[in-house]
Amino acid sequence: MVARSPIRARGPVGREHGWEVSTTARKGGLELCDLTPYSKVLVRAGVLSKAAEVLGCALGLARRAPDGTLVAGTGPGEWLLVSGAGTWPALADEIGGGDPTALTTVVDVTHGGFLIRLSGADSRRVLEKICAIDLSDGVTPDGAVFRSSVARIVCDVIRDDDGGVRSYLLHGDRSAGQYLFDAVLDAGSEFSIGISGYREKEA
Amino acid sequence: MIRIPCPNCGPRNSSEFSYFGELGSRPAPDAVDPAHWRHYLYDKKNPAGWTTEKWYHASGCRKFFAIERNTLTNDVKSGRPFGVESSSEESS
Amino acid sequence: MISSRRRPTAMISRLGRQEGELIDRSRRLSFTFNGVEHRGFDGDTIVSALMAEGERIFSRSFKYHRPRSVLSATFHDPGCIVQVGDEPNVRAAHRRLRDGMAVEAQTGWPSLRYDVGAANQLVGRFIGAGFYYKTFIKPQRLWPTYEKVLQRFAAGGRVQASSPHGTYDKRYAHPDVLVAGGGPAGMAAALGAADAGANVILVEEEYELGGHLRFGGSEDLVALRELRDEVGAHAGIEVMTNSVVTGRYDDNWVAVLQRELPQVAERLVKARAKTLVVASGLIERPYVFEGNDLPGVMLSTAARRLVNLYAVKPGQQAVVFAANESGQAAAADLDRVGVEVLKVVDPASGGELVRALGRGQLEQVELGDGSIVDCDLLVTAVGWTAPTLLVNMAGDRPRYDERAARFVPGGALPDTVLATGGIVGDGPLQALVAHGRATGTAAAHRALGRADSIDIPELEPAPHPALFRARTHGIVDYSEDVYSKDLVAAAREGYDSVELLKRYTTATMGPSQGKLETINTVAVLAEATGRSIEETGTTVWRPPYAPISLGALAGRILEPVRYSPMQPWHDSHGAKPIVAGQWIRPEHYGDAAAEVRNVRENVGIIDVSPLGKLDLRGPDVSKLLNFVYVNKWSKLDVGSVRYGVMCGEDGVVIDDGVTGRLAADHYFMSTTSSGAQAVHEWVENWLQTSFPSWQVHVTSMVSAYASINIAGPRSRELLGRLVPDVDLSPESFSYMQVRTGTIAGVPGCHMWRIGFTGELSFEIHVPAGYGLYVWERLMSDGKDLGVGPFGLEAQRVMRLEKGHFIVGQDTDGVTQALSAGLDWLVKLDKEDFAGKPELVWQHERGDGMRLVGLQPSDTHLVPAEASQIVSPSGAIEGRITSSRFSPTIGRSICLGLVSARLAVAGTVVTVKLPDGRHVPATVMEHHAHFDPEGSRLRG
Repeated sequence: MVARSPIRARGPVGREHGWEVSTTARKGGLELCDLTPYSKVLVRAGVLSKAAEVLGCALGLARRAPDGTLVAGTGPGEWLLVSGAGTWPALADEIGGGDPTALTTVVDVTHGGFLIRLSGADSRRVLEKICAIDLSDGVTPDGAVFRSSVARIVCDVIRDDDGGVRSYLLHGDRSAGQYLFDAVLDAGSEFSIGISGYREKEA
Repeated sequence: MIRIPCPNCGPRNSSEFSYFGELGSRPAPDAVDPAHWRHYLYDKKNPAGWTTEKWYHASGCRKFFAIERNTLTNDVKSGRPFGVESSSEESS
Repeated sequence: MISSRRRPTAMISRLGRQEGELIDRSRRLSFTFNGVEHRGFDGDTIVSALMAEGERIFSRSFKYHRPRSVLSATFHDPGCIVQVGDEPNVRAAHRRLRDGMAVEAQTGWPSLRYDVGAANQLVGRFIGAGFYYKTFIKPQRLWPTYEKVLQRFAAGGRVQASSPHGTYDKRYAHPDVLVAGGGPAGMAAALGAADAGANVILVEEEYELGGHLRFGGSEDLVALRELRDEVGAHAGIEVMTNSVVTGRYDDNWVAVLQRELPQVAERLVKARAKTLVVASGLIERPYVFEGNDLPGVMLSTAARRLVNLYAVKPGQQAVVFAANESGQAAAADLDRVGVEVLKVVDPASGGELVRALGRGQLEQVELGDGSIVDCDLLVTAVGWTAPTLLVNMAGDRPRYDERAARFVPGGALPDTVLATGGIVGDGPLQALVAHGRATGTAAAHRALGRADSIDIPELEPAPHPALFRARTHGIVDYSEDVYSKDLVAAAREGYDSVELLKRYTTATMGPSQGKLETINTVAVLAEATGRSIEETGTTVWRPPYAPISLGALAGRILEPVRYSPMQPWHDSHGAKPIVAGQWIRPEHYGDAAAEVRNVRENVGIIDVSPLGKLDLRGPDVSKLLNFVYVNKWSKLDVGSVRYGVMCGEDGVVIDDGVTGRLAADHYFMSTTSSGAQAVHEWVENWLQTSFPSWQVHVTSMVSAYASINIAGPRSRELLGRLVPDVDLSPESFSYMQVRTGTIAGVPGCHMWRIGFTGELSFEIHVPAGYGLYVWERLMSDGKDLGVGPFGLEAQRVMRLEKGHFIVGQDTDGVTQALSAGLDWLVKLDKEDFAGKPELVWQHERGDGMRLVGLQPSDTHLVPAEASQIVSPSGAIEGRITSSRFSPTIGRSICLGLVSARLAVAGTVVTVKLPDGRHVPATVMEHHAHFDPEGSRLRG
């Protein structure tokens, strides 16, 4: 039994938590990485609900929970939880209980979307070619979240700097994963973008 | 390209939105006569000036909201969301 | 290709070193012009290099094929448009010379010097104003011939199909302040804005900043260096040279075209500027007089550019017609470099220029006192045009300033647009810089939301004599070969509004788009109609400011393509792909008819992953379903699925699909593939705007599940081999039910017993990451059962055999539910649902079209889809919506929409084929042509 990302694994291939992944080594600099195997959970709840309090971040912001889960406020009353492949974020269970004042739902969307990470000092210049949102630090600093069109695909974009290096997570509809990955690579060719293999940094 | 003030996401390019036309109200389906119903379906005021419109932020928050837009100048007054999504209504 | 030849000896006119020259004399470049070898320097434009080697003619004019040379020596110079290699329409007075360039004149057939089309000059009366409309229209049948001949004569380079595909780019930018124009005022504005804390983009059309300072004297050059150094050192300013702001759109959406970048040919920058500063300077306006397009007649700024930037001597003996300082400066420059300035004619002291004379090039100038001066250079300086395009695009209408004899911004700018420099007014350099700096600071304050107001000093247009046309007639539009007398004639014909005149005569509609021509056009029209220039008004300037290549507009190709998780398998198993919306899907794997037979006899599997899938949760889902579907949903048991049809508020069918109840408050809806997104929006629209109190959460799961339909008499056996935890027997898992279980070890899969193909079938929805794995297991584990893949075409045939309609194929934008044969489904006794009133009325009227099964009498004739169904009198009574040859029953079968009165079983209708033949077909009792009772499906 093997699960696959919509993005064709390049270079040497291995298995992580039942997913086929690329094991290409990191080379540093500007790079693109397929993290689709990560667990992705969509939470919907009222913005003033108990669940919202537990999740603890407003629309447009992201934070990391103690267990390493990335919590991103992707919409009004909507959150995306990202945790390591094969895991289930503890937060999702905490909020699962019914809230009589507002409907709360938790949907596993791990298989519904691609998740890719674009990192490097030039990542802003790459994304600026295919996304109309202002990516300056004043408007979208580290920890900012927005949903917009990236290369004509609707994506959740999370600015999630990696050890001081500018980095973006892009999450969108799985079927367009290969297309978007290629579009980012094309936009990054001017800056010598590279592909790096799957890694378990987030969890 | 004009910008549409999404009440959730702030101003965004209009290409992120779907336009759903002038805001109207749906007649009660049982009491309505054809003329009245088709007025609801097809007759738009299309004024040269301020009008209230429904937009959908398809590439963003996926919420419907209303804005007032001046069709002559494309000036837009801030959007307001529908229904219970706004926190003020939920807290009341 | 013409082979390279050594050029004949020509008069070399390169000057000694000039203080502000752009050429690097240490770097020689070689290139060819019309196959003849030439040499130039790095920093030359194509035209400056050619002029330095004695070339004077660069093109032939559009209509009369008159020889053309330098007029303005700028990007917009109408006489300097050439072909470079495979690139047409290169602006040769702007484009920098590169080593090895193959430059060719675009016009001139058979050659630049001996142009057959020049005979048009002799029949000029024939091709005056509106000549296209008058001359070439009749007889109509000759138009293709006219077109060919005209194309041969008209300007325009060659596009070669074999040219390599260029790389073009786009990017977005969000500057606080964008400054259009990098002259002194523009540079100062950028500095003022950046010093105030704004991030600034400064755009300059030429290859370097500086504007007119570049071809000025020593003082100008010192000031230029200071400003340029300050701009270059400022971290807050991004400078884009050889770039142009092509348009300003709503909310300061500013398009900037960057040319000749190291990585890409061109890049379009879409900038959302908080404020825009327009500093586009002034463009020198030509003078209208007889012979004003002869090679050797040029503008004062052109002469100054040639001398000071490129060290090119534009002539030997010159007459200068100077109504302003620029003319005086040109005369001084020419005199300094050894051109014999025979006469400086000043209109202020009564001097008058009457006409220029010469065959093929300037030989003599006739002045107002009747004197004739022999010369090869005539320089005119009669005034300026303020290129107010960008401020006009921001809603401002130019106002004519009679004192300054030019149009200026009208003063009706939005807060987000400011103007500075020459388009605002004139003054010494210090005044321009002060105005620019203050304007830039003000722009930054507005962009950054600072309240403190900035004092912007006055900058007024200086008085200038009004000189548009001499007593003779001459060219107004060089690009389009429009003479002032053509404009007068057109005005007499009644085209006395400037917008009409422009379109009728094509004046201002050529490659320079009115930058040189507009004001002269207005002035000539004003004179012809006895009105003032102010009363006549000017034309509206629209984007783009300068031409943009289609490549730059297209940019990077961003056409989303969507793939199913099983696409790699399809690719490696001979699937013929078809494009369905953004999806790539298998149409068939070689033989669609065999795929049909295999499904009917054994078992087949089809990838239906693009099906719309919505996860619906909450206590009010059944209310939602009751509202958006035409049938009833309140009594759907957990574990059951139901077919539903959605209508718009006009009663027209918009989508269909099945929805299953997985748990008490959890439903799963499937929609058509093409309707997936629209249905999601439709559902959200009702929930958010009409029923906000209903508690329902909708999640699109299109891509979360790989969807596979397993169809055929052996489908139960095949699936049973892979499913350990669900009893698939008909007793416990009957038709129209849903179960959740494990398939090939993958948990959380949904299995539906439904059947679009009319066979026993299971539609499985597998977590998408495992889709390929499960597909491969179905293929390998079912080998002995004869399992095979089938594509969309086989599915289309089978659903037609079964009589299942497809929304959008068997219905159209006006097909209401009862026309689609859904009387059995529509529940008019429901309190409310989308589209209900229209369906109530349609039911009462009983009119409209009806979808019916049809079988042609000729069993092997398959009428093309969209063939009409006609009455004996030829009236249209309907059409064939779907047709195929059925391999299962061995005959042609159709669905069709027919008038309600014909929709009676046994009626024979007449189908009109595309070739005109009329053939009979019979209306059937059922939509289904095969197994109408559904015994296979329910087995």
